Amino acid sequence: MKIWAIATNTFRAFLRDKVLIVIFIVLICLVLLLMTPLLAYKAITTAQNASSMQGLVLGIVAEVMAMLSGGGSLLAAWAGASSVASEMRSGTIQAVMARPVKRWQFLAGKYLGVLLLMGCYVPLMFGLSYLLAWMGGQHIQAAPWVLIVYPLVRYAVYAAIAILLVTFMHPAVAFAIVLVISVLAGLFAPRAPLAAHLPVWIRGPVYAVLPSTGLLSEDRFLSLTRTSLQHTTWLQHLNALAYGLDYALVCLLFAMWSFHYRSLRRD
Amino acid sequence: MNPAVEFRNVTKVYRRRFSRQKIAALSDVSFDVHAGEVCAFLGPNGAGKTTTISILMGFFYADSGEVRVLGYEPGDVRAKRQIGFLPENFAFYKYLDAEKLLSLHCILAERTNGDRGTIVHDLLTKVRLEQFQGLKISKYSRGMVQRLGLAQALLGEPKLLVLDEPTSGLDPAGRKDVRDLILSLRAAGNTIFLSSHILSDVEQISDRAVIIDRGKVVRAGSMNELLGTSGRVEIVVNQLPESMDATVAGWNGSVERGSRGVKISIAEDKKREAIETLWAAGCDVISLAPVRGSLEELFLTLVAGDGGAA
Repeated sequence: MKIWAIATNTFRAFLRDKVLIVIFIVLICLVLLLMTPLLAYKAITTAQNASSMQGLVLGIVAEVMAMLSGGGSLLAAWAGASSVASEMRSGTIQAVMARPVKRWQFLAGKYLGVLLLMGCYVPLMFGLSYLLAWMGGQHIQAAPWVLIVYPLVRYAVYAAIAILLVTFMHPAVAFAIVLVISVLAGLFAPRAPLAAHLPVWIRGPVYAVLPSTGLLSEDRFLSLTRTSLQHTTWLQHLNALAYGLDYALVCLLFAMWSFHYRSLRRD
Repeated sequence: MNPAVEFRNVTKVYRRRFSRQKIAALSDVSFDVHAGEVCAFLGPNGAGKTTTISILMGFFYADSGEVRVLGYEPGDVRAKRQIGFLPENFAFYKYLDAEKLLSLHCILAERTNGDRGTIVHDLLTKVRLEQFQGLKISKYSRGMVQRLGLAQALLGEPKLLVLDEPTSGLDPAGRKDVRDLILSLRAAGNTIFLSSHILSDVEQISDRAVIIDRGKVVRAGSMNELLGTSGRVEIVVNQLPESMDATVAGWNGSVERGSRGVKISIAEDKKREAIETLWAAGCDVISLAPVRGSLEELFLTLVAGDGGAA
């Protein structure tokens, strides 16, 4: 009950967080901007140029979907970092922690609040992707649950890392580090070109430590054409999602441990 | 009976993050707050009051020493269930109104007995905010925020109230309300640990005081012990013929004429003789009171000599 109360209050605060509102507005503006060429290409498509135009349309739809997905990562990282930091900065944490609330409960409430936010963002992203594909005359070939659950788990990982970092550093630094981690995770992925040039003794540990967000990317299953649709068994899905949840849980446990020992002073 | 708050040889040192500089916020601080009393915690700015209160509430950890709050470690939820806390410059969620904020605190305080709406309404009535309960807190004045802070501190039916500057930002009527509230809470058996710079308020309502300066307790004791009696009394009469000045001087006394009467200060053992003589001379005695030092005088003597200011 207490955790849920903190989570819903955190969610309310997010709806008024200026930085989050700006991130959201920028994303919407970019989507609207990219819709212009999409609609233009569709309008000038004829029987003669249909094939090349379809390629352009598909490219734009894929770009927008990637952007929304990446924007969600930014949103999760910032929400995670600011959820705790804003309470410390304003001093509201003191009134809350004077109540019979344990530190881990406070942090769990904050984390749940971030997940609530991302739980609203993901269906929105999912709906926009479908809308764009439909406008481009395409149909997304992937199970809807994959497009919802995979991004949610990925964002849960980013939010947990951000919350862990913000327990001992400034939220802007924590946010930047999460971004660096996400880039490094992509560079060190097993099939990435950079990783192939590195010796195994570097590649292995780095890959093990960084979150394998590529593994949790819905892009693996997302295709606009049925021909390239990948087949994945339930066990493989379960394995990938369990990896993400475990990573998030470990980060959250470290965050709780770190938060337990810090001073709750007004920053 | 165990003290409500025990501080034993508590030390807290702040370390700067990127240098070796250390600042001792508290050095070997020891004091008790007894159950059922109003204990004032006084000191100039930077003396260590907020650090002490933060350790008491479990926000900071002491480097050494022992702290017990209602018999538990600071921060223990069993203790926090019985504590009401008003932080200095009470911060709140500005996007909520008073009703929603107190409802949230009701849940956090595990206040499950009784209807939540009734509890919230009663508290807002107690602090005279009932007509503003639907107004966003961001629109509140400083005094209203302080009243709301008091309401949330009272929410869990606390045994121990920790109030950091409870009368700050309040007008004289508001300050009186808070003083009356504190006295009624003490009468109900609550313990109040109170930090304030408004020494006249503190003097009126406190049973004991702990004075801290530069991280060290410089004086602690009951108000009577701290302020003591000077062995003199002050008699106020409506008028005093100048011919009687010599008589007063004979009692080793002094005379101060003012618009509200004449104040005569004499040794305590002369009071009966003085009253009878004044009465016989046709002077109306308005009041008679023992002369004792003020808390402000004591405070300034203890801490302001080094440049501290209340």
